[in-house]
Amino acid sequence: MRRREAARTPRALLACGLLACGLTAAPEAAGEPAGRTLVVSARGPHRTLEDALAAARDGDTVVVEGGAHGPVTVSRRVALEGRGWPVLDGGGRGTVVKLTAAGASLRGFVVRGSGASLDDENAGITVAAPDVRVEGNRLEETLFGISLAHARGAVVAGNVIASKDLDVPRRGDAIRVWYSDDVRIVGNRVTRGRDVVLWYSQNLAVLDNEVTDGRYGLHFMYTDDADIEGNRLVGNSVGVYLMYSRRLRMRRNVVTGNRGPSGFGLGLKDMDECDVTDNVFADNRVGVYVDNSPREAQSHVDFVRNLFAGNDTGVALLPSVRRNTYTDNAFVDNGEHVGILGGGTLGENAWARGGRGNFWSDYAGYDRDGDGVGDVPYRAERLFEHLTQRNPALKLFTYAPAAQALELAARAVPLVRPQPKLEDPAPLVAPHVPAGLPRGAAVAGAPLVASSFGLVALAVGLLAVPGALLRGRARGPVEARPPGGTARAQLEAGAAPVLSFEGVTRRFGATLALDGLTLAVPPGQALAFWGANGAGKTTALRCLLGVIPFEGRVTLRGHDVRRDGKAARRQVGFVPQELAFHDDLTLRETLAFYGRLKGLGGAAAEAEALLGRLGLAEHAHKTVRALSGGLKQRLAVALALLGDPPLLVLDEPTANLDAPARAGLVALLAGLKAAGKTLVFTSHRLEEVLALADRVVLLEGGRLAADVPPRDLGERLQAHATLHLLLPPAAVERALAVLTDAGYAPARTGAGLSVDVDPTEKGRPIALLVGAGVPLADFEVARTGSAERRAGPASGPGRA
Amino acid sequence: MDARTVLAFATKELRDARRNRWFLLHTGALAALSLGISALAVSSQGAFGLAGFGRTTASLVNLVMLVVPLMGLTLGALSLAQERERGTLLYVLAQPVTPSEVFLGKYLGLALALLASLALGFGASGLLIAWRVSGAQVQGYLGLAGLSFGLALASLGLGLVISAVARRASTAVGLAIFAWLALVLLGDLGLMGTAMVLRIDVGALFGLTLLNPLQVFKISAIAGSQGTLEVLGPAGVFAFRTFGAGLLPLLLAVLLAWVVAPLAAGLGLFRWRGAL
Repeated sequence: MRRREAARTPRALLACGLLACGLTAAPEAAGEPAGRTLVVSARGPHRTLEDALAAARDGDTVVVEGGAHGPVTVSRRVALEGRGWPVLDGGGRGTVVKLTAAGASLRGFVVRGSGASLDDENAGITVAAPDVRVEGNRLEETLFGISLAHARGAVVAGNVIASKDLDVPRRGDAIRVWYSDDVRIVGNRVTRGRDVVLWYSQNLAVLDNEVTDGRYGLHFMYTDDADIEGNRLVGNSVGVYLMYSRRLRMRRNVVTGNRGPSGFGLGLKDMDECDVTDNVFADNRVGVYVDNSPREAQSHVDFVRNLFAGNDTGVALLPSVRRNTYTDNAFVDNGEHVGILGGGTLGENAWARGGRGNFWSDYAGYDRDGDGVGDVPYRAERLFEHLTQRNPALKLFTYAPAAQALELAARAVPLVRPQPKLEDPAPLVAPHVPAGLPRGAAVAGAPLVASSFGLVALAVGLLAVPGALLRGRARGPVEARPPGGTARAQLEAGAAPVLSFEGVTRRFGATLALDGLTLAVPPGQALAFWGANGAGKTTALRCLLGVIPFEGRVTLRGHDVRRDGKAARRQVGFVPQELAFHDDLTLRETLAFYGRLKGLGGAAAEAEALLGRLGLAEHAHKTVRALSGGLKQRLAVALALLGDPPLLVLDEPTANLDAPARAGLVALLAGLKAAGKTLVFTSHRLEEVLALADRVVLLEGGRLAADVPPRDLGERLQAHATLHLLLPPAAVERALAVLTDAGYAPARTGAGLSVDVDPTEKGRPIALLVGAGVPLADFEVARTGSAERRAGPASGPGRA
Repeated sequence: MDARTVLAFATKELRDARRNRWFLLHTGALAALSLGISALAVSSQGAFGLAGFGRTTASLVNLVMLVVPLMGLTLGALSLAQERERGTLLYVLAQPVTPSEVFLGKYLGLALALLASLALGFGASGLLIAWRVSGAQVQGYLGLAGLSFGLALASLGLGLVISAVARRASTAVGLAIFAWLALVLLGDLGLMGTAMVLRIDVGALFGLTLLNPLQVFKISAIAGSQGTLEVLGPAGVFAFRTFGAGLLPLLLAVLLAWVVAPLAAGLGLFRWRGAL
């Protein structure tokens, strides 16, 4: 690089010499005044830029009216002016424009298509002479943008530079200033470059530029006496890096969103006499990073009236940093306002001057005298930060609620408060807003607006749609129904069973709820399970439905309920004992929902027919919650009939109904039976069993105790009676002995004894006790079937 | 498995969510808080004409870590346990459906409900951010919304694991809140304490944090929006150096595992436990 510069230096000197000669010699030689205007256009007089440049003399102006031109070298003190954006195109090779004459200028051109060689530093524009002006040009698709070397007094202003769209390591610098003092870089807009580099140059002014999406927004090295003012450095890897320089004044810059690997808004390394004033450092990884600045004992680095907002770390200092002064700055909502890299404590830095400190957004003090300065010092003493200094690995928990919980704990319990990292003796109670900043950037990101609207629409859509879906408007096809109408004939012909239990066993822990139940139900038959509570009736039904695990096998029309549960359950309509529907659905919605579960696709026509058939049509719009017990039961039957399954399973269907509702339901079920449905139900009511069942299965302790016609059940129920004897506690033992001696098997109850008796001799135990002088307070007689003897009375107690 | 049946349960669940007080409360809280955070970002920084989007993102990450797991866990936990307690689960399983269809239908419905809730929260605050804050990046924002949905799904799965075994709704909610507390606070505090005492090396610490889906979400959100994990200190730098470009895919894979594993476990438990 240096060799190249060295090679260029003589050329620049030569150009200066030529310029000097030209200024004096050319007019005399031509005998014409300097300052002609040569026009390049399709109409002439000059048709090509090369012609015009060849004809031009120092001091001339070459006006180029539009058109496309190749690369040019300007070696005379000529002002090149573009009108209508003429294009200078390098065709993807080399450098496009070389300005090698002192005092030359280039204005109003589109400069595009440099080569892509980093080694040759292919650029849009190179300047290698003093006092050159490059103004108001547009640079597109260039590797390096504007490159100045040994170009004292140059002005680079109002250019728009958009470099080639390459990965950062393959890009060139958008603006480069080397060995060029007194240069002004003003009002340029730079994007997608590598760096804006200003090295080995003195007395620079970098004003009102905008640099975005680059690596180093501004990079200063060995560059003393510079003003950096009014620039916007947004979204670069690093905003501004100032190194090995002195007397740099940085004012009114906006440095935001610089979040590259180091992500400094401003980095200071070995800087002296540096004033950083009225800048905004926001949303950077680190707002300002300070390393060994100032380096000299009598030097200073002052930060005044800056805003540090929303950075991960507002100001990060190396522990060795001394003699920094921070006053009137505002530290607002930084993840960490001040960080000490590598831990330790800060020393000899001033956080206030002249009785004014800084604004800290987490300051919890007060200002009683209203002078704008808090009455208690601000101490940076966050517990989580302190812990991360002791063990940096804990930074992994940054942003975690646990870390915030620690902070809360530290505030509540002073005992666990850490040593403060810094103390601001005069914290300000209101933030200073740097002057000249736009208030409320109303830059609406159109894609974000669109996306956000999209999200809200998605939410509304998601929450609005299901209501419509559930109303079941869809008229889906009704699945082919299994034959049911000929069931009576099948029953008579000994057809294959609709339902069969084969050795079905269900355990609840050590208890056998169902013990090897085996039975088959042919089509059209009505089977009642009878037994005491806990005998296994409900368990049998649940096994039948396949909703609980069991051993053995249950098939429904040949479908194994465990292996092929869906097909099996399609053969069944179930009416549970406890009617548990979704209370907030209407009847119509309920039918639509269960219709969909049965694969009926909403089947509105069938649902309406069922509502009518069961006398529910007028209630169809009501919610389930609003229905009476009887109507709910009818709804349950309607749901069971949905899809016209051949088998109806009902668990205590009349248990919760009053007498008229009960009679209505029994009549309904009788009608269904007559229409050929197979019924399997449990009941505690003899009259229902007698009215509906073709067959009664008595369960006792989970075992099949008997499988009989209904009329036999009535006889069995008369076969035994239980006598409940209410005795004073003192008389129980005696009564026990008397009855045992007489051949009975009495059992203790809470109030006395119970004893099974022959229904024809119910009075005998009473007579025995009375004869033996046992005081009997009262007695009750209960009739039980054999299945119910252990479970106690099934019908109401009666006095003998 | 019949997709129509799953869809039937999903639409039912989505409809139920609209009437679920927990869901409404959480949705309201999420929308209000995210709007509040965005408004704060706008007022504290936007008033100066600044971007501050990164900080807003950080606050949103924090909010999501608190609210979204609570939503997912409680909704999931209530889902089956409540129906089991009411007896509707038994009735539903007595229909021609499989337990898997019930489970997946409920999962899908609740997932869509959570999606709606998040879309509302992120959509509303996105509008506010777009209105007042310059430099907001739509990809980063949508990425954060997407990751939040991932976290919601993981929490929902964990909630359903609880729901698959709990007999009562109150038990399920209690367990869900305990799980939330463990994920949000206890786990991290325990790990921080352990790291302090035992001086766990950064690799192991990074690995251990991935056991918490909230941390996986957080680290993914930071890696996705900032490109590096430097803000997370040595462990973050370690992870970034070790996995490089593979870090984000790795984190997403872990988050996906956090979505899939509870779902599979919940499904298995539900099939084992059944309606009772």
